[in-house]
Amino acid sequence: MNLDVDLRAREDVPAWLAYGTPIFTVVAALLVGGVALVALGVDPLAAYEHMFVNTATTEFGIVQTLIRSVPLVLAGLAVYVPLKAGLWNIGAQGQLYMGAVAGTWIGVNVGLPLPVLIPLLLVGAGVLGAVWGGIPGYLRAKYGVNEIIVTLMMSFVGVQLTSYLVRGPMRGGEGNFPVSALLPSEATLPTIFGSLHAGIFVAALGAIAIYLLFDRLRLGYEITYVGANPDAAEQSGMNTFRIYVFVLALGGVLAGLAGAIEIAGVQGRLRPDFSPGYGFTAIPIALLGRNGVPQVTLAGVFFALLEVGGSSMEIAFNVPAALIDVIQALIILFLITAEFFKRYRVSIEIQRGQRAGQAAEEGA
Amino acid sequence: MGESDPILEMRGVTKTFPGVVANDDISFSVNRGEIHGLLGENGAGKSTLMKVLYGLYSADDGEILLNGEPLALESPQDAIEAGIGMVHQHFKLIPRLSVVENVILGYREPAEAVAEVGGSGPLGSLVGGLASRFSFGTEGPAKRVRALAGEYGLDIDPTAKVWELDIGQQQRVEILKALYRDVDLLILDEPTAVLTPNEARQMFQTLRRLVDQGLTIIFITHKLSEVTEITDRVTVLRDGVRVDTVETDAYSQSELAELMVGREVLFSVAKDAVPVGEEVLAVQGLRARSDRNVEAVTGIDLTVRAGEIVGVAGVSGNGQRELAECLAGVRDPTAGHIAVNGTNLARAGPRAFVDQGVSYVPEDRHRYGCATSLNLTRNAISKEYRDETFGRRGLLDYRVADEYAETLVEEYDVRGVTDVAEITAGELSGGNLQKLILARELHRDPDLLVANQPTRGVDVGAIEFLRQAIIEQRSEGTGVLFFSEDLDEIFDVADRVLVMYEGEIVHETTPDEADRERIGLEMTGGDAATATGGGSP
Repeated sequence: MNLDVDLRAREDVPAWLAYGTPIFTVVAALLVGGVALVALGVDPLAAYEHMFVNTATTEFGIVQTLIRSVPLVLAGLAVYVPLKAGLWNIGAQGQLYMGAVAGTWIGVNVGLPLPVLIPLLLVGAGVLGAVWGGIPGYLRAKYGVNEIIVTLMMSFVGVQLTSYLVRGPMRGGEGNFPVSALLPSEATLPTIFGSLHAGIFVAALGAIAIYLLFDRLRLGYEITYVGANPDAAEQSGMNTFRIYVFVLALGGVLAGLAGAIEIAGVQGRLRPDFSPGYGFTAIPIALLGRNGVPQVTLAGVFFALLEVGGSSMEIAFNVPAALIDVIQALIILFLITAEFFKRYRVSIEIQRGQRAGQAAEEGA
Repeated sequence: MGESDPILEMRGVTKTFPGVVANDDISFSVNRGEIHGLLGENGAGKSTLMKVLYGLYSADDGEILLNGEPLALESPQDAIEAGIGMVHQHFKLIPRLSVVENVILGYREPAEAVAEVGGSGPLGSLVGGLASRFSFGTEGPAKRVRALAGEYGLDIDPTAKVWELDIGQQQRVEILKALYRDVDLLILDEPTAVLTPNEARQMFQTLRRLVDQGLTIIFITHKLSEVTEITDRVTVLRDGVRVDTVETDAYSQSELAELMVGREVLFSVAKDAVPVGEEVLAVQGLRARSDRNVEAVTGIDLTVRAGEIVGVAGVSGNGQRELAECLAGVRDPTAGHIAVNGTNLARAGPRAFVDQGVSYVPEDRHRYGCATSLNLTRNAISKEYRDETFGRRGLLDYRVADEYAETLVEEYDVRGVTDVAEITAGELSGGNLQKLILARELHRDPDLLVANQPTRGVDVGAIEFLRQAIIEQRSEGTGVLFFSEDLDEIFDVADRVLVMYEGEIVHETTPDEADRERIGLEMTGGDAATATGGGSP
């Protein structure tokens, strides 16, 4: 047998490939993840069935998935918006923490009735998130400082600052735990169905707003144009400085909202480790959904399902939940692989029989 | 052609892309030792045909015979091994590496010292094998490159880094790369597109020397003057079909143009006299620096009135780009005034210029003129999207925008467009993209149009259209500042001629009174002595 692999640059990307990429990526990641399951002695079909079907068909599973979706969708959008302008927001995690800090502080220290306090808390979270995202945006726009590095570094600063605050100035509650005081009921998001809290509306409104931004507004057009060619955008009279600051600040707002909602809707108090990496999971979400806002939203919900289903699989089959991290990582790897397949056409020819026989003879 | 000796024959080559037949049953042959032109408008299928020959594309149908033998090409590697080399329009060089290193890229060149290592016995050959596999030396190749350069009269230092070389020299490195691989047939894809006229002349001399040494050259171009100057025979393509192969001497430029475009081409465009109006642009004492922080515009005064085209002649690199960019607000001048309709806009930024009714066609249309990855609609509205017709208070209605883009595509004859929301600007050919850009800039009825080399790298049919469109706009009362290196073009289009040299306006005249020789001299900073020196062959 003779294996002949031929690589050719594609002349154009077929539509089925461009739009099918996210699906192929996920399927491929699950397939490889299945190998790990088999190695652990678990039937992968049963495990996946439990993970997806059980989670997506039970009331508990759906509610948990939706709760998880809220921070993931918002953080995903926080990466997606700057990406449209050609900028990488790697620091959604820090912006999320700063939003949580602002939200908690307002919730604990401002005494107002719920209909006023909740919006105020969210605005505060958005503002601090915007500052945290806006600083890298400003540095990028004004001095050309690489936003990947600054957003990432500020992310660490944000996380460590939170860690300090809950051990120092913002520490509350009984005992010596590094946590803030419990939010009063006026600062807690009301639940609408089971434990599903009203934060889901904020996430939905956020997604709709970002969709409209790119579909209906001049500003969205400018962001896209700057992302495609900043020089041409400048020449057309667009203000790239303003766009760069804006997209990262808006990313900060979205991530900040995610942080505050997670505290006011789920945690009830600020903890230094309240976010299991939402801000970083946001990056594959934005990449998986880079074709549009609905896709980002779907990707966010999918990752939520993956996490919720993963923990439930952990219990049911006694497999490590870290497998979910593996599947997430595989999705990123396959996404990069897909970029390669978008650029190259691979044809594999397997020659058998006569020709292979000839080759063998020649070899001998 | 009984005595002809074809080195290459292409028979019935067909290549289709989704929706387009790029090459439709093309057959032609190239004789040994000739310079064979491949002439056609942008999008006629020249580059596709040559990419098939170079193994970059595989043809759907047809065959290629080299020296009478059928050739199966899977990759450029196969083509090079068969003796076919190609110099691409955009060079494939690594600037940080030296000339030699670029030439031997992809080859295993053991260091000279280890060539003698080895000797007899299994151990000796093992050592020798390892040494030649893992050592690397440029001494041997450098010698060979120097010898080749000498043989073919390519003046180049093999140890120089590529980034230190000018464009003409870089092109010679590309040619050397092919020669080093012992090719017999060299394909040049629009080699003059990136060269100044002077560099082009030098390259033509090089090509003649290559042919004298026994090489055969295929020269892709859409410039008629080059065809008549350099080629022996020429094959004309139009819309993916071979129109004819002719002896170059037997045809005039206008006959060739007719073959290429399929109709008679007007080289000079008719112009009605239009009364000039108010001053739309007044520049005083303008100075500006280039990207390399060298003063490129050194004190310029000029005016443009409504309804006139002011042509700025000059060899590119004499500050035209910087001047044009200042007048579009993209570059901030270091001193001086730019008054548009009486308002001083120096250092006001591009937006102020756009709002004052200044339109701008940049010289590099891919880099500054459009966003190649976005669709035609988004590119068509990039100057006008703030207009209320597209939506009030920050809204933007893409349905109206699509209609607007369709209007531009139709009125300005942008070809190859099925759906303005689907096709991206990068998918348009050079001429069609330039039509779209000009459409965008003119449809808004500007007071002033600054056009920097709008017809460069564009095929003949589109050039005619672009010039006509600019002249019509001028007759509607737009003042135009038109930069070009092509004197014929300046004389055809302009009402008034300025000559720019080393950042200054050195001469002013009108097309009727102009003395072409004088302008040629002023453009090159020459005086009588250098003129006679340069004139002798």
